[in-house]
Amino acid sequence: MNTQAARIRLTGTPVGRRVRLADFGDEVSPLQREQLHAYGMSPPHDIRVLQQQPMTVVLCDHIELALEHEIAHGIWVTES
Amino acid sequence: MTSAASSASSLPYTTAALPTIALVGHPNVGKSVLFHRLTGTYVNVSNYPGTTVEVARAPARFDRTHSLLDTPGVLALPSRSDDERATVRALLNETIKVVVQVGDAKNLRRTLNLTALLAELGVPMAMALNMTDEAQARGVTVDTAALANALAIPVVATVATGGSGVGTLTDALSGARVPAALLKYDDELETHIDQLTRQIETHTPHPVLAARGLAILLLGGDSEVAHWIAQQPGHAAIDAALATLLPPGTGRDTLPARLARERSRAAEALARTVSQQALGKDRTLSLLAGQLAVHRIWGWPLLLVVLYLVYLFVGDFGAGTLVGLLEEDFFGEILNPAVTALVQAHVTVPWLADLLVGDYGLWTMGMTYALALILPIVTTFFLAFGILEDSGYFTRLSVIANRMFAAIGLNGRAVLPMVLGLGCVTMATLTTRILHTPRERLITTFLMALAIPCSAQLGVVLGLLGGISFGATLIWLVSMVVILLATGWLAGKLVSGRRVPLLTELPPMRMPLIGNVLKKTGGRLKWYLMEVIPLFLIGTLIMFVLDRTGALPWLIEAGKPLVTGWLGLPPEASAAFVMGFLRRDFGATGLFALESQLSMVQAVVGMVTITLFVPCIASVMMIVKEQGLRTTALMLAMIMPTAFLVGGLLNHTLRLFF
Repeated sequence: MNTQAARIRLTGTPVGRRVRLADFGDEVSPLQREQLHAYGMSPPHDIRVLQQQPMTVVLCDHIELALEHEIAHGIWVTES
Repeated sequence: MTSAASSASSLPYTTAALPTIALVGHPNVGKSVLFHRLTGTYVNVSNYPGTTVEVARAPARFDRTHSLLDTPGVLALPSRSDDERATVRALLNETIKVVVQVGDAKNLRRTLNLTALLAELGVPMAMALNMTDEAQARGVTVDTAALANALAIPVVATVATGGSGVGTLTDALSGARVPAALLKYDDELETHIDQLTRQIETHTPHPVLAARGLAILLLGGDSEVAHWIAQQPGHAAIDAALATLLPPGTGRDTLPARLARERSRAAEALARTVSQQALGKDRTLSLLAGQLAVHRIWGWPLLLVVLYLVYLFVGDFGAGTLVGLLEEDFFGEILNPAVTALVQAHVTVPWLADLLVGDYGLWTMGMTYALALILPIVTTFFLAFGILEDSGYFTRLSVIANRMFAAIGLNGRAVLPMVLGLGCVTMATLTTRILHTPRERLITTFLMALAIPCSAQLGVVLGLLGGISFGATLIWLVSMVVILLATGWLAGKLVSGRRVPLLTELPPMRMPLIGNVLKKTGGRLKWYLMEVIPLFLIGTLIMFVLDRTGALPWLIEAGKPLVTGWLGLPPEASAAFVMGFLRRDFGATGLFALESQLSMVQAVVGMVTITLFVPCIASVMMIVKEQGLRTTALMLAMIMPTAFLVGGLLNHTLRLFF
């Protein structure tokens, strides 16, 4: 299976889907990367997408996180 | 308003006489509730991150030979924001005997992520694994014995809001120990940590904290640790050592990011072994309510319903019914005539009697404004505000307002200080510390100083305009939003720096605890009575002196072209603007007292102008503290002309239609 092809951006994930964090793109700044780790958003952890509009909202463990699309666009996920 | 509602002392915290137990943990995990339980001292507790922005201290209830520190929540260490820096400063400058990490039982992985760093500081620790009730409701179980065994420290399950486990925690503190390290970093990182540790041990040893912990924080780019080391005599050796270590790295491989990634992995591994998640338990009512509040369609009608309910409670019930009962019936019919008769019977000096119960009398104006007009309004406002902040709704506003705030160069996180500003602009100015960049703090502080009315002023606005019509209130509201956005847009263009995209935690929606809401309301009312009444009395005294010396009529005459000509208000409104220099709500109350003389347009113009008028003295002092004297002076120089410019333009625009 081509794992690279299976990766999609978090912004492209349908609402309600449970996905696995794969990687952060270079567009995610070091500070944001640290913050994401601090919230528990570290690959290869599973998260659930709750909303995509007006912002991306995900459930990571039991933390609801709201991410602006600019950040969510830089987060790569795979099917859980 | 300070965040501590009773005798907890805030900064400075470097002169502690008693050995200290520090409560450290993520934002919104219940540190302040636990602090209250352990000390009996109430500090403001709310359901959003950033409630505590300064360190609070009080003697421990269970052992008067120790003091307890409530520290601002840290999302992560090394510190990046002002509130995180305040926590690191406390760890560096206090004689810490024990660190109690307050963790969130339903988010153990995140809790352990912070433990991984705290464990390196070499300080005896205990863990209060809080919110176990919420964890249970979500199907999360934690084996605290296994966790305690892995960390080699006492771990106690607590529900701080109900007091469960708090007694066990205090008993366990005597068994606090330096924790076992959670991880070993990769070989390259370990080599450099070891080198730096040796240098710190030799040249800048800390009396309490372990050199290895300081080395990790320093490599992670903690500015507070760097600042502390720079103040030590041997700092040159540390600078030299740092220069020879790893290059800082770029992109995903910066040194701080590598360290954070490794701690995350270690936290994940340990969390997996000591906790379990039951399947299908992550859809709770709280989660559904939270989703509705930030829904792209339903979020807006819900916001309007919330605003309308607040308007009904504060504007209609507080400013209408309660003020009517107090001002007209009680003060107007019973109390003031009795006080006036008493004064006139016993005070034979005419000017003194006039000072007490005349037109600008300390009782008939100062105390009547403060107690009969504003107190019922702020009481209802603080109650509504307390319910909303404890429900977790405020933080969700940041999501639906984010796009609007993006237009003015901010992100939705700035909503929180602004909403808090509706309670008290002074305290909210301090809360701008939760914002990540100086640019965001500067713009938000300016917008709050200009266009965010505090509770007392908002109540008077709702009382006056609500009494005229809902339409008048709406015109005021739309005017303020337009001014906020227009000024913010301009400030966003003028203040250099890049906008930071929003990444924020949304606290769970909770049913507010009535006891906590009442406690907060009581604390805020106490602040109100202590701060506002003296200022109202001073303001009344100034008005009395101006009136007696003939300066007030002169000021009214001098202000005519501006107040009467440009703003279209009656000449007496000049007195309200003079009062507004002391406090905007005092000036607004002056306009409220002219209610019967004002048309709808005059009332709206008057209220818009006074809302934009100079912030109160306490707010100005806080802005000076946070932004410096020069920036504050610049802000004030822009705010006053803006108030009159906007008021006049609105007057001439509204007269075309009404």
